[in-house]
Formats: sequence, C-alpha cells, structure tokens
Amino acid sequence: MQLLSGDARRAVFAPLDDGALRSEAVVRRVGSAVALGLLADGEQLPTEADLATMLNVSTVTLREALAELRKLGLVETRRGRGGGSFVRSRDDVLAELADARLAELGTTDLRELGDVHSAVAAAAARLAASRASRTEIARLRDIVDRLASAGSVTGQRRTDGRYYIELAACAQSVRLTMQEMDLHLELGQLPWPPAHAPGLLDVMVAGHRAVIDAIEDRDAARARALTEAHVETRTVWAIELRLQRLGGVGAVADHREVS
Amino acid sequence: MTGGGGAEVAQAAAAVSGLVERVFVTVARVRDAVLHAVERDGLPAGRWVLPDGVAQLLREPGQLAVGLGLVVAPRPEEGLRQRLEWWQAEPDGGRLHTLEPDLRPASLGYYDYTTTEWYDVPRRTGRRHAFGPHVDVHGTGRYVLTLTEPVVAGSGFVGVAGADVPVRRFETSLLEALGPLPAPFVLLNDEGRVVLSTAPRFLVGSLLTPDAGAAGQGAPIAGVPWRLLPVRHGRLLAG
Repeated sequence: MQLLSGDARRAVFAPLDDGALRSEAVVRRVGSAVALGLLADGEQLPTEADLATMLNVSTVTLREALAELRKLGLVETRRGRGGGSFVRSRDDVLAELADARLAELGTTDLRELGDVHSAVAAAAARLAASRASRTEIARLRDIVDRLASAGSVTGQRRTDGRYYIELAACAQSVRLTMQEMDLHLELGQLPWPPAHAPGLLDVMVAGHRAVIDAIEDRDAARARALTEAHVETRTVWAIELRLQRLGGVGAVADHREVS
Repeated sequence: MTGGGGAEVAQAAAAVSGLVERVFVTVARVRDAVLHAVERDGLPAGRWVLPDGVAQLLREPGQLAVGLGLVVAPRPEEGLRQRLEWWQAEPDGGRLHTLEPDLRPASLGYYDYTTTEWYDVPRRTGRRHAFGPHVDVHGTGRYVLTLTEPVVAGSGFVGVAGADVPVRRFETSLLEALGPLPAPFVLLNDEGRVVLSTAPRFLVGSLLTPDAGAAGQGAPIAGVPWRLLPVRHGRLLAG
C-alpha cells in the first residue's frame, strides 16, 4: 500500500521514543490519529512488519497493540486476498480511550504538556506577529470561523489543531510546525473539554480571534501573552476535568470560565 | 545608486534571475510533458498524465528542484478529484518517490492546495508565479520556494506545473554563483518577505515593516515578483 506523506502523517508513524515501548503507547497513538482524522474510517494500516519498523517497536509489542485495538473496535482484520488491518472510526471508543488516558495521568503530567504547548504556541504567535502575511492572517481567521461553526467534537478538535499548526507555519518555522503536530497527537489522546462544557468552545474561538487581532496589529508581545494565557486556561480545564473524575466536590465548585 | 553599488546590485539581480530561469526551464519541461499527454489522452480521472520519465529531471546535474510535477485542477462534475502528480527526491539526494499528501477535508492533515497562492495565482492570472519562502505544511513539510506555471490545454485549465526549491539550496547556489560576497543586499518577494539576505539583521522569512522604506524600491527580478535591495549600515537603500 502507498502510505500518505505530509507532516502530520509522518508524526503518526514516527518512532515511539518514550523508552517503555509498551503496546498501550501504540494504541494511544493510533487512537489520537483516528480522533484527528489522520487515519480515516476504512483505511488500511501498513503491514505488521512495516508498522513495527516505523514505530520502532518489536513485532510482539505491535501484535499486542493490534489485538487490543481489535478488542476496542478501532481496527478490523480481514484475512485472505485484499486482507489486512483496517481502521474503524468510533467516537464512543475514542471518548472512552481519552477518559482512560486522563485517568492514568497526574495533574503534573497535564501541566507539563500544557507548559510545552504554551512555549511552542506562544513563540509561534510572537514570530507570526512579525512574519505572517495578510494572506496567512486571513487563513487563520478562516480556520477560526470554521472552528466556531464545527458541529462535531472531532470536527472541533481537528480544526483547533489546524489553527495551531497554521500559526506555527505563519512563524515560517518548520521546527515549530513539527512540534505542534507532535503535541496535537498527544493532546488528541485526552478528552476534548468543550465536549463536557460546550460554552468552552466560545472561549477558544474568542481566545484565537484575540491572538489573530494582535498578529494583525503586529503586536508581538500581545500575541505571545494572549497565547500563553489561553493555553494555560486550557491546561486548567484539563486538570479540572481530571480532578472532577475523582469525584472531588472542591474541584467542581471551583470551576469557572476563564477567558 | 552611487559608485560601484549599482553594478553590484545588477550583478546580484542577474545571478538571482539566472537561478530562477533555470528552475522555470524545468517547470516548462514538466508543463510540456503534461500538455503532450493531455492532448493525446485527455485528463483521465483515475490515472496520472505525467510521464514517469519526468521524474528523472530531478537527477540532472545542477538541478535546484527537489520536487516537481503537476497539480491537477479538480473537476468534480467530471469525477476528477484533487490530485497531485508529484515526484520528490529524498533529502539525502537519493531515492525518488511520489508525494502522497492527505486530500481528505476531514483530516487534521488535509492538504488543501487549491487555496494556496502557488496554485491560485497561475490559475487566476494565467501567468507563472514564484511563491515563498513558505513552510509547505501538510505537503512536503519543508521550507521551500514553489515556482509554478499554469497548464492550459485545448480543454481549458488542467492545473499547474511546478517545482519546489528548498530555501537553503537556493541560498547556497546563489552565494556560490556570486563568488566573493558583494555589498550586503536583501531579496524581497511581493509580500515584502525576505527570500534571501546577506545582511544578518534581515532574516530569511521575516516581513519588512513599512518603515523599512522598501515598498516599490529596488532592482526588479525579471519574470518573478521579487526585487533586490542593497543594505548599507543596517538600512535598506533604494536600489
């Protein structure tokens, strides 16, 4: 089979380098790729040998992961001519996977992820303020308009990811763009906050629009500060959600909409 | 310009123009190959029209392009979807392979080329275009200059023929062509973005602010929307 290229796809099949090389890491990577639309419903996965090589895991680990994905219903294996492993996109399974991932992370893990995302996105926003052309700014606005009107959770997630990736491209930086791709494959493994509190989508849209206004005003410091504040807000949402799942009363009572 | 500065600017502009024309020679060969095939076979929905041999242009000595091909104008009413017929050389200069970008609108990685300037300008104007530097996000993932030309057959607009030149390769080739470095200059595109610079204060990819006083000034590069401006004491001069 011919594998799609493109930066996001490269990130999907990039080696897993978290040392542990557990089959769960493969399951999570495939899950977020499906959630982000990078692997489409019905799409055929590479052969076991190719997939193991690309992800830098042993074939034993890969088989474990595929067995788990089959059990979850995210992969279907057909035998014989034209057979292979095929992706099944199932929103209910993706939501369960995201909840399970959130439950195994500590609040410091979420803060760490937020810190890196803040560093990358804020740097991109600062550079974009001096490097984004009018056409690029118009494209950013267009993406945020689509985010505002995206009907589904997966649509919102993908469009939000495109905003950050485009922002890094506006900064004229291949490296920041790649970093955003990788980060969204990790963020895509976690629950999408507006799925649990729909009002949060408006906060995201307003937050992105304020950054684009600053970029258009060529105000690098404001673009950066707004991006930092917005990503921090989202980190707080993820941590709140994590604590709520523990059933803590205080965590729920403390919920507020930061803008 | 005063003194020898004018001659230096003219020399640098001629070197830029020479490199650009070399790339457009490749683009023209892609276009001719496509036209020949389309006039013979039409534009089938399920099959490439770009002859395989065209990929070998990437192996020619002194080739600046690392990618080339045809980007097809979709015609949904004829069942002709978005399609790239594009060859790429691996960054290490080895294997040639086809670029297979993600063309599904529902994907985070959707490569929506019809909205890009390198596709849209030739489509609208019927003329060639040089776009970049730009991060070719969701496509090659590289920082490139993309040079394109419309392909118009008897049946109408077929798509654009084009070539990607990595920014680094363009810079290296130009500096080699110039020999001993002349007085500092910057090369700007039509957005006021720095394409190439021999003045460290002006970074490639940055946009010049209006107060840099550069609008409409400088030595134009024939056939592309670029101009070259000398830099003295960290400031741009009208060339």
